[in-house]
Formats: sequence, C-alpha cells, structure tokens
Amino acid sequence: MSKYLLKRFLLMFPTLLGVAVVIFVLIRVIPGDVVELRMSGDRGSASQQAIDEERVRFGLDQPVWKQFATWVWGVVRLDFGTSMWTGAPIGEEIKLRFALSMQVAIMATIVAVLLAIPLGVVAALKQDTWVDYAVRIFSIAGLATPSFWLGIVFILLLLIVFKWLPPMVYTPFWVNPWQNLLQLVWPALAVGYRYSAVATRMTRSAMLEVLREDYIRTARAKGLVQKLVLSRHALKNAMLPVMTVIGLEFAFLLGGLVVTEQVFNLNGLGLLFVQAVAHRDYTLIQALVMIVSGFFILVNFVMDVMYAWLDPRIRYR
Amino acid sequence: MGVLLEVRSLTTEFATSGGVVRAVDGVSWDVQEGETVALVGESGCGKSVSALSVMRLVAAPAGRIVGGQVVFKGRDLLQLSEEDMRRVRGREIAMIFQEPMTSLNPVLTIGRQLTEGLEIHLGMSGAGARARAAELLGMVGIPDPERRLTQYPHQFSGGMRQRMMIAMALACEPSLILADEPTTALDVTIQAQILELLKDLSRRLGVAMLIITHNLGVVARYADRVNVMYAGRIVERGSARELYANPRHPYTLGLLKSVPRLDEPRRARLQPIEGQPPDLTRLPPGCAFAPRCAFRVARCAAERPALAPVGGAGHLTACWEAGRLDRAPALR
Repeated sequence: MSKYLLKRFLLMFPTLLGVAVVIFVLIRVIPGDVVELRMSGDRGSASQQAIDEERVRFGLDQPVWKQFATWVWGVVRLDFGTSMWTGAPIGEEIKLRFALSMQVAIMATIVAVLLAIPLGVVAALKQDTWVDYAVRIFSIAGLATPSFWLGIVFILLLLIVFKWLPPMVYTPFWVNPWQNLLQLVWPALAVGYRYSAVATRMTRSAMLEVLREDYIRTARAKGLVQKLVLSRHALKNAMLPVMTVIGLEFAFLLGGLVVTEQVFNLNGLGLLFVQAVAHRDYTLIQALVMIVSGFFILVNFVMDVMYAWLDPRIRYR
Repeated sequence: MGVLLEVRSLTTEFATSGGVVRAVDGVSWDVQEGETVALVGESGCGKSVSALSVMRLVAAPAGRIVGGQVVFKGRDLLQLSEEDMRRVRGREIAMIFQEPMTSLNPVLTIGRQLTEGLEIHLGMSGAGARARAAELLGMVGIPDPERRLTQYPHQFSGGMRQRMMIAMALACEPSLILADEPTTALDVTIQAQILELLKDLSRRLGVAMLIITHNLGVVARYADRVNVMYAGRIVERGSARELYANPRHPYTLGLLKSVPRLDEPRRARLQPIEGQPPDLTRLPPGCAFAPRCAFRVARCAAERPALAPVGGAGHLTACWEAGRLDRAPALR
C-alpha cells in the first residue's frame, strides 16, 4: 500500500519537471515577446537600445538553459518572480484569483456530485422507464448547454423574475461569507450542471454494469435489503470510474472557466490566463501553467489514493 | 421425511431479440427434507434458470416467471411479497454459484461478506457475528480463519473462494441449498474436495441440496435422485442408481455413453450425442430431442411425450419408445 502510494507520489515530480520544460520552451516559440509588446505602446518608436536594456532587466538576454535554471530554482522555493507586464509579484497577482477559482471549482463539484450520483443510480435502477428517460434528457441537455449561456440565463431570470441581481463584485469568503456565496452560487450552478451531466451518464453506465455482476446476484441471494445491495455492494464498485471523471473535471475547472468568468464578472484564473498569454507575460504564464498543472497532478495523485482506498486489488499490489 | 420443496409446472421465459425463449417449460420436481437431488443437462437446458426461479432471482426485466408454483414448507414462494421473499433467501434457501471468481464482491472483506447475512437474518452483530464467521470458515476447512476474515477475495484461490461461498450459504443454517454447478470452474482435484465438503456438511447439518451439474460423475456419487433436463423440460427422473442402471430416455442414455470410462478398453470410442441442442425460440411441436435421437419414430415429431412412470418406483421418462430402451444390452 505505502509502496504504491510512495511510487505515485514520487512520480509527480518528473511530471512537473516535464511540464516546466514544455511550457518554458513553448511560450518562447510564440512570436513576439513581452518587451516588444510593452514598448510598441509608445507608437512603435522605442529604440532598439531601449528594448535591449529592458531584455537585460528581465534576464531575457541570458542563454535559455540559464533562464530555465534560474526560473526552476525559484519555483522550487515557491518564488515565481514578478510579472513582466505589471511588475507586481506573481504571488500577489494570483492569490485572490486562485481563491476565487478554487471556490467556484469546489462548489461546482459539490453541485455536480449531489446531482449526478443520485440521478445516475436512479436512472440505472429504473433503466428504460420514464424516470431513466427523464434523467437522460436532463443530462444530455446539460452536455449540450454551454455553461456561460446557462449563466446568462440565470442572471436574466433573476433580474426579470425576481428583480434581483447577484452581487457582481467579488467578496472573499472570509470577509463576508453570505455576500460571497450569493455571488458564486450562480456560476457554481451553471458550471455544476454541465459537469453533473458527464458524471450522471458515467454513474448510470457504471451502475448498470455493476448491477449485472455476479456478486450483486450473490448479495441478493443472501437476502440483503435492496438498500444494502446498492450502497454496500454496487455503489462502491461503480464509484471507481465516476471518481475519475469527477476528479479530472474538478482539476479542469480551476483554470478552464474563461467565458463563464466573464459572464459573472469573476476575476478568476481563466481570465488571468488569457490576459497573460496576450501580453506574453512569460513569468505569469509559466506560474499559472505550473500551478494549474501542479493542481491537476495533485488531483490525480489524490485519485490514486482514493482508488487504492476503494479497491483492495490495487492496494495489495 | 416430508416434502421440503415442490416445484409445480414452473415456467420461466426470457424476452430476447430473437423472440421469447421459454427457458423453463412447465417443469415439476421436488426435494425431500435432507435429500440431495441433481438437475442434469447440457448448458442452456434451463437448469440454472430453474434454481434462480426458485429464488426469484431471474434477471428482470428480460426474464420472467410466467407460471407455476414453488411450494416451500407449505408456502408458494411465487406469491410472497418481495420483502417476505427476501427473508427466505439466505435464511431458508441459500445458493452457491458457479463462478467463485466473480461471485464474491472484490471490494469487501471476506468477513464483511460473511457477517452481513448473520446480521440481517439472525440479528447478530459485532464480535458475535465475527466469531460465528470465523467458525464457519473453519468448518469449511479454511485454516487460520481469524486472519482470513480480514482479507479480500482476490487473496483467495478459486477453491478457497468456493469454500467461502459454501460458508456463506451455510451461515444462517438454511434447510435447502441450491448449488449451481459448484465445481465447474475448479480444478479436478479441488472439485472432489469441494463436493466431499458439501456432501459431508449437508449430511451433518441435515440440509437438503439441489445440485445442478452437467457432470454425471458428480451425480452418481452425490445425488439420491436425478432429474434430467433437455430444452427446458424434464425428460427423465429417477433414483440415481436406477437411472444409471437402466436409463429409459435416449438423451440420458446418450449422456451416459458420452462419458469416458476407465473400465472400458481405451480403443472403445466415445459416442457423443450428434447434433446441437435445439433453438429454444422455435421448438418443434413434438419431442425436442427427436432430431438428434437414434430411436426416433414418426410419432416423435408430431406429439410430445409426457413424463410417465416406467419400471421401478419413482422412475419416470418422457419417451414414446421407452419400452425399447428397457434393459436392452445391445444398445449399451
């Protein structure tokens, strides 16, 4: 058990290093750099000398391997440097937005799990009845509806029907939880619905598969009540694939909500990402990619732990 | 000894894409208290479905029991509410399945899977249930039961898992065990151990048993009475001794002749039953075995023979030509 987890844990580091190499090289391959973009603001009249001086200031004149080494050493000490565009420390730039994006991701996941697991189980149990069809229509609609559009509909409905607009300025949870939830519950619902659609379909098909297993028949033959057959024997087995979907989706939400963030006027990581790329803000892009992919890798590790916890065949290998 | 289970005209159908399949077609058989009865036949002849029908565990919605009665200790199980039926399963009638590899839940410990029946039917809990579970494992010959309780099915070999299935079946001291091909998936040496164990325990605990098998060797050694099934119907019934000595249905005869025997010269060729089992969606109006039968006469294709007594007590066969088969050494 511990050997398996240790291996998984140690594997995270080479993966992260790989990500670091790829992103570092890729953004330098994109034409145009941050210095040119900043200087071109002055009617394109910046002298070559000024550009060169600025490059020296950012260390862009150094050989690439040296730049990389400097940056990685900083990352190891959790120092991501300063933004090349605004000059502010990257920690400061990211802190609030990370909290916001993380909160939306967590809330959306809660919405999705609360919808998906009961709906998926009920649909599987009532396969091919009207209940199943209703759940399938509900989840296919969720797959087909972009969450930003649903977000717009939420806002309009609240405005037209209830003459009320959710707060449009972000308040951190620790400052005013109520105000914070009033704002974030809507994007969480909009994103969570779409997300639940995937998970519902996965729960349904996993459940259908498990319910056909021999050990479910054994459990029934033992005279267990239906509730126990489902919760103890079926659900635990069916949760393995569902968990994978939920975990991946959760990790994606952290940096992937660009348009939805716009709709709800949320200053999250998705928006920051787009801006950073537009500005060729190397240090910020690198930091964001490292944080988002690091989070992805961490979620994957947590899922490996959960797999081992759920499935003894993995645990004892 | 009284009748424990009496199945009367049981009919179970499956809806398939090729039409309705009558897997069990008006079958009647019974099990006396403490007796071991065998249900014999090829794959797909309806023997497993018969047992699942008794437990009312036929996979819905495709499978459906459409008629008949299953009278167990005076009650028709088919008339019970789902909740009353649940109390019968595992408590009064237990079942052992064919595939020990897939019939145990891979994510639950052996202990958990053993104690849950005790908890739900006998109201045992905690240490009491655990002690009883360990006792059960010991009874089926699993060494070091205390430690084994904390393990998972994948840490057990096939034979051990089947022992565990037997322990699970015996847990609540049922009066009938339905063993659906309990040894088919096991090595030959393990098969014998498991069957001896089953026989020994059922005798000691006075449990009646229905053994479903296609292995005639198993039947000869362990069953008191035998029902031979073909295409969803019983074609011959009798005591095991009688059936071996004097089979009166061509299908039974064919089964016996297709088994290799050590007491015959090696040069003697096996005589397989020619042809394939019939398509259950379109059975002929007459005897279902007729197309493969060496004793076939014109009548067989038109009229279906009913089970009728022949020879010794309790020996029945469904064959128009049973008379020709009576102790005719030339045939064997």
